[in-house]
Amino acid sequence: MRIYDMDKECYVEVKKVENPTSKVEQLSQALYCFENGIFDIIYDKSQPSLVKYINSLDQDLLRQEGFQFLYFTSGTTGLPTGVYKTKENSLKQSKALIKTLGDKKFNRVVTTVPFVHIYGIDIGAVVPRDLGIDIWTKENFLPEELAKEASVEGTLVVTTPLFIKALNRIKSDAKFSGSLFLTSTAPLAPEDAKEFKEKFDCSVSQLFASTEAGLMGHKLNDEGILTAYDGVEISTGEDDMLRVSSPFLTKKILDKGVIRDVEPPFQTEDIVELVGENQFKLVGRSSKLLKIAGKRISTVQIENILESIDKVSGIFIKIRKDERALKDEILDIYVEAKTPLEPKIVREELKKHFGTLNIAFKLHNGIEIKRSSVGKKIGFKEI
Amino acid sequence: MVTQEQLKEKIIAGLGLEDIGIDEIEDDMPLFGDDGLGLDSVDAIELTLIIEKEFGVKIKDVENSQEVFASINSLVKYINEHKE
Repeated sequence: MRIYDMDKECYVEVKKVENPTSKVEQLSQALYCFENGIFDIIYDKSQPSLVKYINSLDQDLLRQEGFQFLYFTSGTTGLPTGVYKTKENSLKQSKALIKTLGDKKFNRVVTTVPFVHIYGIDIGAVVPRDLGIDIWTKENFLPEELAKEASVEGTLVVTTPLFIKALNRIKSDAKFSGSLFLTSTAPLAPEDAKEFKEKFDCSVSQLFASTEAGLMGHKLNDEGILTAYDGVEISTGEDDMLRVSSPFLTKKILDKGVIRDVEPPFQTEDIVELVGENQFKLVGRSSKLLKIAGKRISTVQIENILESIDKVSGIFIKIRKDERALKDEILDIYVEAKTPLEPKIVREELKKHFGTLNIAFKLHNGIEIKRSSVGKKIGFKEI
Repeated sequence: MVTQEQLKEKIIAGLGLEDIGIDEIEDDMPLFGDDGLGLDSVDAIELTLIIEKEFGVKIKDVENSQEVFASINSLVKYINEHKE
């Protein structure tokens, strides 16, 4: 297995990289640590609020014996949750995923995702390592470039639903018959998956996973039902939320600065319907999470950020769907304030916390937030 | 000939920048990064699709796109040079 830097058009050595910034550097550093059993903290350094939070923690506390990587995911309360994973978690998971590929042979992996999340590392790096095939990556892909790469026989593409939708929208006669696309957890509408399959003669395997639980289930193209991976036991708990026991599950998390043990089964926030042995249907998510460019952000976090602006007494956020757009989630931000909040101020505040991530939103001033007896926001009315 | 105003209208509509007016986007303002419009990598992909759909011009590689995506002026120049 080698790393091919598509920007520089050369192979790159797997080596230790201090403060990796580019995708190739992140990949090289992660694989170096993985091969040598060196613990590392994997996070997106382009998110200022995450960097600030991690730097504020006791660095000695973060290093836990017996773990390979510590990842960070956006907590539903707005504070990031640290998730510890072992090398064994990744290796067993990789084996389970490879089993679902069947007899199809691949010569290389082309990955569009960065190596700052579990999806990039476990699927974009560990899987090709275990398959013994090269990893091709570059800093940014345009749809036309990915189409050219996917046309090469035996290419396994590790990407996101965003690229499936983007490829559906380009004018192209290309066929990817000898390739397979793997996409991450973000929702991909069945009609988009079907259109992709018909247009490019290529299948999309959608992986259903979370940082804490790892891979849980998968489905092909426009199938509606997910099949649990080998070794994953599924059940439902409170309010039909999915509960998972598997060898891919984390054993420790860092929750609000405190290390906690995780005992299986792990309850996710996904509401599901069990439809058969090892099969389930995703009904929805219990929390309000926004996903942009692979980054999961809690709307509660955004509400907290905007409520810290002077003269703003309350913010209520709803997520609006626009299926055709690549950024298919737009925030409707309802503002309770003495004076109207300007879009420019919101943009500046979001930039302070999320860096270069451009969040689509529409402001609605002049509302009053309705709260329950315990202060929980339950709605709003125009004033 | 595609004008700067036409392109700005398409960008605002296509990227869902409902809070930004045409007048707020200067012709030579950087489209990406902290000093300009603040678009990100997902917006860049959307922008290539908007340009193909609205003006029939394909942007095929990133190396080319960095120069093309520098500002409204550079994008308009590229579109007019490649429009059939």
